[in-house]
Amino acid sequence: MNMKKIRAFVLSILLFAMTCLTACSKEAEEAAAAGPDIAHFKPLNEISEGNRNIYLIVRLMDSSYWQVIINGAMDAGNANGVNVYCGGTNIETDWQGQRILIEEALAAGADAIILAPNDSVELASDIEKIHDMGIPVVLVDTAANTSSFDICYMTDNLLAGQKAAEEMLAQLHNAGHTEDTGLSVGIMVGQSTSQTINERLAGFFQYWSNNAPDNWIISTDIMNCNGNIDLGGQLTTDFLKKHPDTAGLYGTNNGPTRALCRTVNEQERNDIIIVGFDFSDEIKSLIESPDFRASTMLQRQYDMSYRGITTAIDLLDRRQPDIKFEDTGVITVNNDTLTDPEVVEVLKHN
Amino acid sequence: MNLKKKKDQYELNLIKGGRSFYLTLIICLMVFLGAIAVLISAFDRLISRHDQQLSGEICTIMSEKMNSSIEFMTESAKSMASVLSAQDLDSLDDIYMTLKSYNKGEYLSIGFIDDSGEIYAEDAEKKEFEKWNLLNTAAQANPVSMSAPYRSSVYGQPVITMFADFAYGNYERHGYMFITYFLRDLQEVAVTQSLGNDVEIWLMNAGSANIIQCAGSDAHAIGSWTNAYLSMQNIDKSDIPTYSEWLDSVRRLEDNIGISYSIEGIYYSQYCSKISSMPGWYVVVRIPSNTLSATMNTFRNYVLVFLAVLLLVVIVLIANMYRLSKRESKMLTSLSIHDPLTGALNRRAFDLAAEQLLMKGHDSALIFFDIDYFKQVNDRFGHDAGDKLLVAFSDTLRNNFNKQGIISRFGGDEFVVLTEMGDMESVTDALKRCVREVHSIELNDNSKNNADFLISFSAGAARYPQDADNLSALKKCADTALYETKEKGRNGYLWFTDVFAGSEPEEITAVTDVLDVTDEPAERDNNTHTGVNAASYKPSSAADVTGNTVSHTMGQAPQTGRVVKKVVRKKVIKKVVKKTPSGK
Repeated sequence: MNMKKIRAFVLSILLFAMTCLTACSKEAEEAAAAGPDIAHFKPLNEISEGNRNIYLIVRLMDSSYWQVIINGAMDAGNANGVNVYCGGTNIETDWQGQRILIEEALAAGADAIILAPNDSVELASDIEKIHDMGIPVVLVDTAANTSSFDICYMTDNLLAGQKAAEEMLAQLHNAGHTEDTGLSVGIMVGQSTSQTINERLAGFFQYWSNNAPDNWIISTDIMNCNGNIDLGGQLTTDFLKKHPDTAGLYGTNNGPTRALCRTVNEQERNDIIIVGFDFSDEIKSLIESPDFRASTMLQRQYDMSYRGITTAIDLLDRRQPDIKFEDTGVITVNNDTLTDPEVVEVLKHN
Repeated sequence: MNLKKKKDQYELNLIKGGRSFYLTLIICLMVFLGAIAVLISAFDRLISRHDQQLSGEICTIMSEKMNSSIEFMTESAKSMASVLSAQDLDSLDDIYMTLKSYNKGEYLSIGFIDDSGEIYAEDAEKKEFEKWNLLNTAAQANPVSMSAPYRSSVYGQPVITMFADFAYGNYERHGYMFITYFLRDLQEVAVTQSLGNDVEIWLMNAGSANIIQCAGSDAHAIGSWTNAYLSMQNIDKSDIPTYSEWLDSVRRLEDNIGISYSIEGIYYSQYCSKISSMPGWYVVVRIPSNTLSATMNTFRNYVLVFLAVLLLVVIVLIANMYRLSKRESKMLTSLSIHDPLTGALNRRAFDLAAEQLLMKGHDSALIFFDIDYFKQVNDRFGHDAGDKLLVAFSDTLRNNFNKQGIISRFGGDEFVVLTEMGDMESVTDALKRCVREVHSIELNDNSKNNADFLISFSAGAARYPQDADNLSALKKCADTALYETKEKGRNGYLWFTDVFAGSEPEEITAVTDVLDVTDEPAERDNNTHTGVNAASYKPSSAADVTGNTVSHTMGQAPQTGRVVKKVVRKKVIKKVVKKTPSGK
């Protein structure tokens, strides 16, 4: 009787384990069967026989930011007489989907590939493979952990953060703050793990520690809205209650910038200077308003892809650039620079 | 045996003890598991404490190693500058060419800055100076300085640049030679095979609290910047005040500071030391203590698996031993309460079981049985036949009384049955069936020998609680009834109530044609029966015993005491039919 019970117990455990394994493998099979969520290549311009074929692979198809990049590639294709095809993933972390697109581009006989890698480590081997085949490979927006690419056009976010800090200090001075009076600046990030955001934050701190007056401090109570604008608004309200001497707020990317602008606008805190990123409606309205002091850092993503296409053509013509990384930089937009031709040109593409 | 197939409830009550075994087993198992839990917990605590101490020491060693590596790089630059100074070149182009000749592929780039701030380098490299304000870093060289890591436009990767002061132009002029390395060169220096990528190494700027990762498990993070105040958000809340104090002490440029904290339950040791060639910069080394625990955890898991297997083996062994023990115990118990020949209860066991049955308070009947002339069976047919008869007789009783009663062999050819009784008629019916079945018992295969010998029994029955309200008295009553049956010629049964009810049996069957005579032993055990010097006789027909309420003897035993043959039984029968007075 006892043996029977023990046998039954052991068998049930085995059965349970087998059931779990089966369930797991089924889930894996289902996930594999579902496949990557990708948008296959489509021509961006009119395809002409005999023209070179350049393939652009973007990180996120349904995005205004990436649409500007696509537009840049399309314009460069039209201007330089090359066929430009575009494909991409619908999830920004789907590097497997991009691997499939790379294979498709190679199979279609791509003359050059412009890639914005979803994963700088996982796709390094694929980039090396393209490079080893003698096909020009140009990276845009994001670098990769390899040297086997021809050139990368992207924003150096450390420098962008520094430039944001420079703008904050300038605006604080413009607002009448002097080095004799103490003040503090608050920071809100959209994520704590994003490399881009971390570098913009580090750049800001770096410039500030080297250039700000000693009694102008950055609050170490860094807000993190985790991409949630409503949460960001609440965090801002709480922060301003806790730190009434706040003279400036810095948003490291689009979401936090919107949250900061909304709250400052709602509370009519025109004594607070805002410096952020991108050109959302919220920051635009503050920049345009004569009552507020707001600035934003605009990336030149249009330039990234436009120059990516032209460099790919150069590479196909055996003209090798003398650098591998080009910071396309950011442009500062505020009420004073809003009508600058350079700003107008950048805004035209956004 | 039937007994083995059919469990007697009263017998079951005599064989108990299984529950206590399971209880003991469960308690032992729980104690064992508890002991294992305590052991593992103690093991974990010990390892954790050990790891925390060890990881702190490893951090210290690693930061010193990293610092030494940076020192080695700066010493290389210093030595090169010394050699350059010793050459005391006048021409700036010569200096540049000389420096270029030093580069055998170990450095990304090499060049210098003259005393007017002119940069002698590739055009692309010159742009880096402006972009990253490297001239300012060069000016800090005393005699060497190192830039913060930056992403090189030329190489597309994070790099660092060393500067070293040198003299030229009759030692009257001073310039700064520079060498650029990949940041990953530092990573390669820092990597240890034994700890793999688990050691995380950063360079940290005290002024800004910015950190850049040089080595670590996350390949994405290597070469990227972050800020310690943002990283602090990931630390367990309880450790944040300590971490904040640590950050403050770093920003105050204090020496060699260690800290420990947890992130999502993982304990980290962190240690930092100043970089002498980079004022305001620290090397920070962090190691999760579970990295060290991993090996011991593997060992612990092996121990756990071993103990689990051991436990399983022990359980199986115990279960087997228990099974064997229980089987033996059951056998021994069975032997101790059963008559080994017939399987009926022995006398001691019967008394115990009977007491239990009577305690229920149900109407019951106790019946004494005595096989008539059993000694003759042994004498005439041998002891094997006698044994066979005892078994057959026992089976007959079991067939007719076992459902609600208990059967015992009291000794020799005497049996006793205690059965629950709805009414007397049902017991009487059972007795009648016994009479018929016993008469049909064949002693051996020799039909001739069987043909002239009728097996019969005498029985005396008493009722509980009508005749007696305790077992001892009940047995006496049944014994008296048996005695009376024997007195009246055997081969029949009598209820005790009929013995003293004044209604004596009207008649006992007479037998004729006595064929053989033998004496049956008269001795009886205890005082339950009085010895009867019974005579053999020719029995009358059992078929005449028909009334349900009849208590009778089937044949009167003549005083001559001779064996009766069946053939004679069929010839002469006289019936004595007596009705019970009460009808019970």
